Amino acid sequence: MVSAIEVRNLTKAYGELLAVNHINFSVSQGEIFGFLGPNGAGKTTTTRMLTCISTPTEGSAQIMGFDIQKQAFDAKEQMGVVTDISNVYLDLSAQENLIFTGKLYGLPKEKRLDKARELLEMFGLYDVRHESVKGFSGGMRRRLTIAMALVNDASVLFLDEPTTALDVQSVRVIHELIMKLNSSGTTIFLTTHNMTEASELCNRVAIISQGRIATIDTPERLKQAMDRVHSVEVVFDSSSSHLVKEMEELHGVRGVQKRGNKLRLLTLSPPEVLAGIFQFSERNNIRLLSVNTLSPSLEDVFLEMTGEEIVERPKGLGKMSGRRGPVGPRRSDH
Amino acid sequence: MQQGVRLDRLRKESARAWAIAWKDMRTYYLTPPSLMFGVLFPIALFFTFTVGRNLSSLQSLPILLSQTVFWASSTVGPVVIPLERRTKTFDRYLSAPMSLFSVLLGKTLAGIFFGLLVSIAPLLIGIFIFQAGVMNVIALALGIILSCFAFAAMGIMFASVPTESVGNIMMPLNFVRIPLLFISGVFIPIGELPLIGQVVACLSPLTHTLVLVRRGLGVESFNIPLEASIIALVVTSLLFLYLSFKFHESIKKRE
Ligand SMILES: Nc1ncnc2c1ncn2[C@@H]1O[C@H](COP(=O)(O)OP(=O)(O)OP(=O)(O)O)[C@@H](O)[C@H]1O
Ligand SMILES: [Mg+2]
Repeated sequence: MVSAIEVRNLTKAYGELLAVNHINFSVSQGEIFGFLGPNGAGKTTTTRMLTCISTPTEGSAQIMGFDIQKQAFDAKEQMGVVTDISNVYLDLSAQENLIFTGKLYGLPKEKRLDKARELLEMFGLYDVRHESVKGFSGGMRRRLTIAMALVNDASVLFLDEPTTALDVQSVRVIHELIMKLNSSGTTIFLTTHNMTEASELCNRVAIISQGRIATIDTPERLKQAMDRVHSVEVVFDSSSSHLVKEMEELHGVRGVQKRGNKLRLLTLSPPEVLAGIFQFSERNNIRLLSVNTLSPSLEDVFLEMTGEEIVERPKGLGKMSGRRGPVGPRRSDH
Repeated sequence: MQQGVRLDRLRKESARAWAIAWKDMRTYYLTPPSLMFGVLFPIALFFTFTVGRNLSSLQSLPILLSQTVFWASSTVGPVVIPLERRTKTFDRYLSAPMSLFSVLLGKTLAGIFFGLLVSIAPLLIGIFIFQAGVMNVIALALGIILSCFAFAAMGIMFASVPTESVGNIMMPLNFVRIPLLFISGVFIPIGELPLIGQVVACLSPLTHTLVLVRRGLGVESFNIPLEASIIALVVTSLLFLYLSFKFHESIKKRE
């Protein structure tokens, strides 16, 4: 069976910046493929190339076997696209937006209205279907954008951070929708920087950093890494330089990072560390100003999975392209 | 078989181009910038050119028609495209199953119809109220339709400047549109220009608009064979469209 998405050496250069740097991957039909990375990693740039919005500088890709450059028409017929920004026609109503999209994808006239109606109901926009989209909230626009990507019953659906701007309730609805579409055979390419989203929905997750794919792994491995890198953030009423060392010696602490007056203790078991912190504070008579447990950050998980530090690309520094961060000096053991 | 596939593709592409044109017509014709540059401007300029020049209504009509097709057609693209860039809706066309060429053709069609629409009223008033006689229907019709095509494509070409603001396109566009008025026989008869001026005039599509419309209405005009003017307008239309295509393609490479 032909791959849903096949990417070879795909590259995008903006001047000297390699926003996407010779990446390779392949997504099978029926997969939910997660594309996870920090801001500026090149996720949107990759998606824009795959959906024919921007032309690759180098390399090639196929969607359901159709080359995105040489057979663009056929490739695009296979796709549904949700871009990172909710791009709806502000001068049209919700229903007109869907009908116009239907025309662009060649739906016959009778089917356009039925489909629009079905999607408006599905996304809770039926009651406002005749209202101009100009008055829609960010979340409503997002829902309409997703609805518009479903008009043509695409076999490959590209979603670039589909759940931004949505409330918890709507996020759940979209997640359920993704699962449902997938179980009826749609391949999903899901771009996100939300690890929980990636690990819960995807069959495989690629982690992209500075234009390169650092690793492609299972969501189980991602979850394990997430479990390993909980952290506790603590602020003491003391600026003693010994604190870092003292914290490193607490039971269950795997590493300590100092950020301003905050100390971040990496751990497998936050409760154990919390107990240790309270004991330490009492025993040494150092007052605690604040204690927080933090859910794992993408940086920590990335470090855990690849042994490399994730570096957010500074804007405008072309020369940084493709360089990977050094192995983290802040890690104390494994 | 192969031909069937091709015909089917052509049918799909043109239906989608038309969908774009229709949407633009419905959404943008009545917006302030379209009305200002597409309707008010040509009428204002018409009065500037004609008042006090002692022209008969028959001599004025071609000037008015040349202004409406010129300004209205070339305005739609520069109004629509930057707005669609700003809202990122232009990206939708690129990821939809249609070629870039069809997208631009759809945008051009919206300009063509705006030019036709704005020109219909003066044409009807001229014919029915001022009794302008149509001497050569084909010259008149082709003059108006092909000019709308050429100027709409010119607008699309200028709208290839990758900007999100309408002003950034109107500025350079007017920088070209206004000088064209002076070398195209609107103001100064081409016969009175020096030879170099006459050569430049022949390169301006607006010259050919006036030649065809004047001949169509039986008004004396600069002496160019009708066929030459028709070919000139067709060639400029295709050239503008081709250049727009190339510009947009290079934007896709950069963005
Ligand atoms: N049109 C452009 N011109 C120049 N540089 C660009 C352009 N688009 C993106 N970049 C740069 O390319 C890099 C990758 O950007 P991209 O938008 O793909 O990141 P992303 O992974 O989608 O990030 P985010 O999580 O913020 O959406 C960034 O450094 C960005 O500044
Ligand atoms: Mg992005």
